[in-house]
Amino acid sequence: MGRIARWLIGTALVAGPTLAQAQELTVWDWKSGDPVAANYFAAAKTAFEAAHPGVTVNFVMQPHDQYYTLLGTALGSESGPDVMLLHGGAQATSRAAALKPLNDMTEGLAGVADFTADGNAIALPLTIQGFVVYYNKALYEAAGLDPDAPPRTWDELKSVCEAFKTQGEVPCFAMGNKEGFGGDFFLSVLAADMFTPEQQAQMAAGDLPWTDPALRTIVETWVQTSQDGWYPEGANAMAKFMDEYETFMRGEAANTIGLLSDVAHWKQFEEFLGPDALGVYLHPAPGGEPRLPVSGGIGYAVNANSANADLAAELVKVLSAPEQAAIFAVDTGALPANTAVDTSALSSPTLTTILGMLDGPTAPLAHAVMAPTVMEEWHRQSQLLLNGETTVDDALARMEEIRQQAKSN
Amino acid sequence: MARRVIGQAERRFAALVLLPAAGLLLVFRIVPLIWGFVLSFTNSDGLGQADWVGLANYRGVVTDQAFRDSLVNTVLVLATLPIWILLPMLLALLIHQGVPGGRFFRAVYFLPAVLSSVIVGSIFNVVLRFDGSLNAALKAIGLSPVDWLGNGGTALASLVAVHLWSTFGMSVLIFLAGLSTINQEMLEAAKLDGAKFWARLRFIVIPTLRPIIEFVAVVTTIGLLTGMFGLIYVLTAGGPGTSTTLPEFLIWLEQGKLNRPGYAAAISAVLFALMAGVAWAQVRIMSRNAEL
Amino acid sequence: MAAVGKRERRWLWIAAIPMALLALSCIYPIVFAINNALKTSKGYILDRFGMVTDPTVQNFADAWGRARFSEYFVNSVLVTAGAVGLLLLLSSLVGFALAMLRFPFRRLVFVAILGALMIPIQVVLVPFYRTVEGLGLLNTRVGLVLAYTAFFLPFSIYLMTAFYRGLPRELLEAARMDGARFLEVWWHVMLPLGRPALLTLGILNTLYCWNDVLISLLVLQDRRTLMVGIAALRGEYTTNVPLLAAGIVLAAAPIVLVYLVFQRRIVGGISVGAVKG
Repeated sequence: MGRIARWLIGTALVAGPTLAQAQELTVWDWKSGDPVAANYFAAAKTAFEAAHPGVTVNFVMQPHDQYYTLLGTALGSESGPDVMLLHGGAQATSRAAALKPLNDMTEGLAGVADFTADGNAIALPLTIQGFVVYYNKALYEAAGLDPDAPPRTWDELKSVCEAFKTQGEVPCFAMGNKEGFGGDFFLSVLAADMFTPEQQAQMAAGDLPWTDPALRTIVETWVQTSQDGWYPEGANAMAKFMDEYETFMRGEAANTIGLLSDVAHWKQFEEFLGPDALGVYLHPAPGGEPRLPVSGGIGYAVNANSANADLAAELVKVLSAPEQAAIFAVDTGALPANTAVDTSALSSPTLTTILGMLDGPTAPLAHAVMAPTVMEEWHRQSQLLLNGETTVDDALARMEEIRQQAKSN
Repeated sequence: MARRVIGQAERRFAALVLLPAAGLLLVFRIVPLIWGFVLSFTNSDGLGQADWVGLANYRGVVTDQAFRDSLVNTVLVLATLPIWILLPMLLALLIHQGVPGGRFFRAVYFLPAVLSSVIVGSIFNVVLRFDGSLNAALKAIGLSPVDWLGNGGTALASLVAVHLWSTFGMSVLIFLAGLSTINQEMLEAAKLDGAKFWARLRFIVIPTLRPIIEFVAVVTTIGLLTGMFGLIYVLTAGGPGTSTTLPEFLIWLEQGKLNRPGYAAAISAVLFALMAGVAWAQVRIMSRNAEL
Repeated sequence: MAAVGKRERRWLWIAAIPMALLALSCIYPIVFAINNALKTSKGYILDRFGMVTDPTVQNFADAWGRARFSEYFVNSVLVTAGAVGLLLLLSSLVGFALAMLRFPFRRLVFVAILGALMIPIQVVLVPFYRTVEGLGLLNTRVGLVLAYTAFFLPFSIYLMTAFYRGLPRELLEAARMDGARFLEVWWHVMLPLGRPALLTLGILNTLYCWNDVLISLLVLQDRRTLMVGIAALRGEYTTNVPLLAAGIVLAAAPIVLVYLVFQRRIVGGISVGAVKG
């Protein structure tokens, strides 16, 4: 709407207080066009509009490719949507200045820490996210492995991949690193096991140097596993979403580091492989006990510059309320952040195992807390390492240089 | 006296006609350009608060390895310019010479140019990946597969090839149109004199086509410098490493994903300065072709 | 072309083979898109390259309805038509003025307009957005029409100037002698004579506007055009290739049809900018 039009409407409202106030709240996301999530968005819209007569909610699905460019441009001009969907971690916290604090609304929600900046909760999480390894039991059996005894230690994982290498039918892990996400996930699953709480805290503050032995081990292991033939050829041209996961779903790779929410999780894999052929385990690492890397997944935030910020906050509450979140969880298979959500409609042996893991030891997602420039450089270096176009020493030196630059800015 | 009145009316009409066009260009292109230049001296994070940081962004750009890589990539891409001219020219010549199926080729070659880069990129994504259809075809004839987009040595070349594929039809059409202006009698006479195909090409066709060649060079250069973003995004995301990162992609990355509009503006300014040289040469060619 | 020697004839037949392969590659994407648009999502994942065995039109229905392509279609048509109309109007007027009229700083104006050709959209993203926002044009089709016009105008002006430059100035002078005003000269003489160039420009600008993603994304944030709709279908984790393919077919069909109808005339007109050198 143009300024003039806005002004005209504003004047009309002041001049004629008896006019019905037809308000519109705009929500930006990258999910509302997805058929799987259609019921959730419809339910939230109905619930909110029933409670607030005269207000319409308009969900706008933006291209995810351009989402943060568009959002950043809009927020920077003090315009943009009333409510927006965000990823937990740096993408949310780096925009805290433009978001309305929602501190008194976080009760009963898990994963709020990933949406907290300067002590303020800036979004209400809808899902929790994390990484586990899914495996194809039929392929394990074909390679002479026990399908019901997934690897628990690094040595066991190594011998599993050795078995697939010897058999020569399918690669041990599906791998897509076109955007560098393969490198991200690998870093996070290993760091979850290997980092001490102090190292995790340092990583989050951007203080953990890349000369640290744990980080060196992770990078060396990335190269070593590649050289040992764990991954299919062409990983750098393969998008993690969804090329890599489609490979796994076709049964062309034995393992994959998958998600807990959104896609590439137990529900989607079961559809293709069948509930009995899918297994799940925590990624072991050289040294350290397996821990589940988890964080707040996605969540809704309110634009501080919105003319209807309070109303928008009400909408966010509805969007993350147990009734709505339950629909999202059941339809999409995502793990809800709202602990009051009833997930009994979901049942699968794999999900049961995952819920058990959530009660065990957990760790933050190490890659998600990296500064954006550092993460971008890791994407690049992880590709070069995979291609053998750089060495571990050079890559680590480069990463450390970028970390220091990011820290000093 | 009458002459002066005519002159005045002429100027008034010209001014009247130019104003709206100049206004649009000023508002939507020149003002943003200057604004961006100002932004490049700040540490804007896109959220309003921006402090004046002087030349800090520019110092960052000069030492930025990714930016240097992107410039090298630009030079590599521009070095392929002869192919962009020779290939369509050859195809147009063949069609003009009456190659069997020429009318069909002429219609079909333009089809890729009709498709948006989002579409072209999505399709070639599937064609060029390691387990894609091109490698399947290579394997079928006994050659070993190549990781076209995932390998630092082939990714940029693959990207350029896809861009070439998606735009060559336009250049073929332009050359065909140019060929249609060639003096047929002169060609026939040369033929009767026993001039061979190559001789006719060299002494009649190429000289006539010279302005067309320049025109295609200009349009292609603009396309290479400003039009590869969509394909990069869909096909390689700038990787592996920085091997397919071109400046416009880097600007976009800094702007959005890395949330540093001030720094992105500085890269833009440097890029614009570097492009001014290319732009100058092109403006010269273009204004000569328009005889102004 | 007549009377080609026998030997050359043979060479042409040999050359036709790689040319035919190239032509096949140009048709392949369309076959690929249609073939995959007819598969189910699961069917595609299990067999990506094979011919569809159990075709479904559900993807087209989903794209048209649920993904709101019917709305986007209207936006695309309106915005493209508006921008192309404005571009043709302005570029023929300005081209006429630059090529035929005498006024001060003519060359400078021409060079300045060409210079604007060299500014890629990425370079001016944020300021461009704020300019649009400041003018109150955000989320308006008018805003997008004006933005497209501004971005594609330099090239259009160049082409029209070059074309009119090739016409004799006597045309103008004769009409003036008959007492016609400049606007009348433009309307009665220049517009009809400029038809081949205008047709070419019309096609090219239609392609640019129809296929643009970035400018449209920035200006029309809530009510969008087809190509942005396609970009949005490439969601974060949910790239549903058959649905995307259906969207692609829907978005590309009108433009391919326009091309096929006009393609013979494009060849006639497209050269104008260059040939008059």
